[in-house]
Amino acid sequence: MSLLTPEVITGSLSQVGSMVLYVFLGALVVEVVVYFVFGKIFKSKYTLPYMLLAPAAIGLTLLVIYPMAYEVRLAFTNMSLRHFRNYSLSLAQGLQNFKLIFAEPVLKQVKFFPLLSRTILWTVINLIFHVSGGLVLAILLNRRMRGRGIYRTLLVFPWAIPQIVAVLAWRGEFHFEYGFINVMLQRIGLQPIQWMVDPFWNFVAACITNIWLGIPFMMIIILGGLQSIPIEFYDAAEIDGASRWQQFRSITLPMLRPILTPAVILGTIWTFNNFNVPYMINKYELETSDILVTALFRAAFEYNRYGFSAAFALVILLILFVFTLTYIRVTGGIKGVYE
Amino acid sequence: MKKFVTILLVSMILMSLVSIASASKVNLVLWTKEGEEPLDWNKSLVAEYMKANPEVSIELVKKIDVEVLREDFLTASLAGSPPDLLWTVNDHAGPFVAADVIEPVDNLFDLSIFVDSALEAVKLEGRYWGIPISNGNHLMLLYNKKLISKVPEDTDELFAIGKKLTQGGNYALVWNQTEPFWLVPWLGGFKGKVFAEDGVTPTLNTPEMIATLKFIHDMKFDAKIIPPECDYDAADTLFKEGKAAMIINGDWSLGGYMGVLGEDLGVARIPKVVATGEWPKPYTSGVYFMLAKGLSGDKLKAAQDFIGFVASREKQIEMVKLLNRLPALKEALKDPLVTENPILKGSSDQMVVGTPMPTVLEMRCNWDSMKPEMLAVLTDTKSPEDAAKAMQTSVEACIKALK
Repeated sequence: MSLLTPEVITGSLSQVGSMVLYVFLGALVVEVVVYFVFGKIFKSKYTLPYMLLAPAAIGLTLLVIYPMAYEVRLAFTNMSLRHFRNYSLSLAQGLQNFKLIFAEPVLKQVKFFPLLSRTILWTVINLIFHVSGGLVLAILLNRRMRGRGIYRTLLVFPWAIPQIVAVLAWRGEFHFEYGFINVMLQRIGLQPIQWMVDPFWNFVAACITNIWLGIPFMMIIILGGLQSIPIEFYDAAEIDGASRWQQFRSITLPMLRPILTPAVILGTIWTFNNFNVPYMINKYELETSDILVTALFRAAFEYNRYGFSAAFALVILLILFVFTLTYIRVTGGIKGVYE
Repeated sequence: MKKFVTILLVSMILMSLVSIASASKVNLVLWTKEGEEPLDWNKSLVAEYMKANPEVSIELVKKIDVEVLREDFLTASLAGSPPDLLWTVNDHAGPFVAADVIEPVDNLFDLSIFVDSALEAVKLEGRYWGIPISNGNHLMLLYNKKLISKVPEDTDELFAIGKKLTQGGNYALVWNQTEPFWLVPWLGGFKGKVFAEDGVTPTLNTPEMIATLKFIHDMKFDAKIIPPECDYDAADTLFKEGKAAMIINGDWSLGGYMGVLGEDLGVARIPKVVATGEWPKPYTSGVYFMLAKGLSGDKLKAAQDFIGFVASREKQIEMVKLLNRLPALKEALKDPLVTENPILKGSSDQMVVGTPMPTVLEMRCNWDSMKPEMLAVLTDTKSPEDAAKAMQTSVEACIKALK
């Protein structure tokens, strides 16, 4: 590893310096233009808010809206290795891409619906454990006890460390000979498991890792929700003779619903789209461990099927969008926001 | 506040001045697939060249492995900002030529000074697409003379000797069980090939492939002479730590093993397959410079000069001394340092029974199809027959998708 020498510093500065300066000057120009257009020409009373929003709006347009628009365009092309620069763009090509997604293997052998089923299974398993694990821990933490702050800090630790670091550490521990999981299994008389090469156990390894990573987020959200429930409800319930379970079912869960609904939606979308865990745990690229997004990544960057992958990405977006709308409608989860 | 804004503006202007100053140099970006000792050699070459040519600045970027280099180069080319030069393997020529992201080098260099077999490995569509740096890049049997005095000549001997050596956490033989590059030598030994005579029709579901898969399965589950799970790093580490008597690895690792084992390192051919009487045929090619499409003007001149520097006799001999790789320059191949070096003799002895690695785009599909099925056989989750069948189905689907 190189030391921080003056050459390294000047080299790094020279690489970023001009870009930083251009961004700074660009932002200044934008502010001046917005000021003159809205402040002097239109004499709008919202000049200041527009000036404050302008850089962020431009950033979002360049980094979110433009890539999405390009993605939609790419979905209607046949861009691949053989058509890298001279690809064709047409409605027919787009429809062909969408047809291929459902008719042919997405990668080498696996087709779309088995892949979708595996992704749903992955999402459901993880979400069940995230929510239940988070709920249990939140309830345990929502009491007066010594060292509560320390427990909370330790329990948040999986969420605090960079996800890639955690996943790679877990991957090391799933090593057949030298990982601590197999070492412990052998110590208690069980056979070691081929976590990295057996399709079933590789999927289980990814689930274990993601559950460990995801519980703290739910725990924090639910804890916040629990702390906002007025204590009087529980007092009144106790006076009326309600058991702990009845209080949990009739007070805690309904009061948590406005908080759980967005958390579950977020959790579902994040888990459905989780790339790091299934990709990194699947060290040997087993197609049986791929979910939709990892298959999408491989189709795009390992098999260079750019047009096809863009169409694939839009299909995933549509699935999640439909899920979100349906979930909100069925659960009435955000009714409380409007009432 | 005023003071803060002033300091900020001054720093910005200084940073951009530094950037402008460095912009007066010719800046080249070189991506390399090398690691460890070969990477150190890359760094020293770049440093030496820049010292002698202060008007040129070369940024050396190491890519973690050849697959990452391939994917990143295609992505960077798509984004319009590829590196100027690549230091990579020959089979990248296939996808890069198909995507039209590299330049042919016929008119840019005098290729007659290089070894023919090295040039053939980057010939596609009648043109050459890389300048060879080293000749070979092939697998061979490397062994620790302290742990094994007589290497097995054939596979029966390998199993017999292997059973005696594999005990107490030590293994007779290690190799990268996760990459099909380590499978193809055995396939060659069983007289199999991945393509038919036309060079593009895949032939993976064959009796030869089934026999090969059965052989590696037996190596693991019957003879038990290899670790239960072993990737490149595990094999490399076990060999370096003296826990494996033999390793099947490539010429790129010779420098590292010489550093650890010194005179105790031996090189031999991968043992002959008894069933066919054939020597295993590892793929041979080399390591190459490739130029990004559109490289021109001062950058092209600087790239040509740098490549000429690396391909010079002096640097080729230096590579032989440091890395024990066979040179691609004809003149350097005749040097006594090459002809009288026992390690290089062993390496070239293996190379002569090797087979040129196919560079066509369809080879990508072969690699991707063989990999998971090879793993399935080595984990006993699929029979060799089912694995071979699945390989063929998979490669046909992949090639169809390429169209």
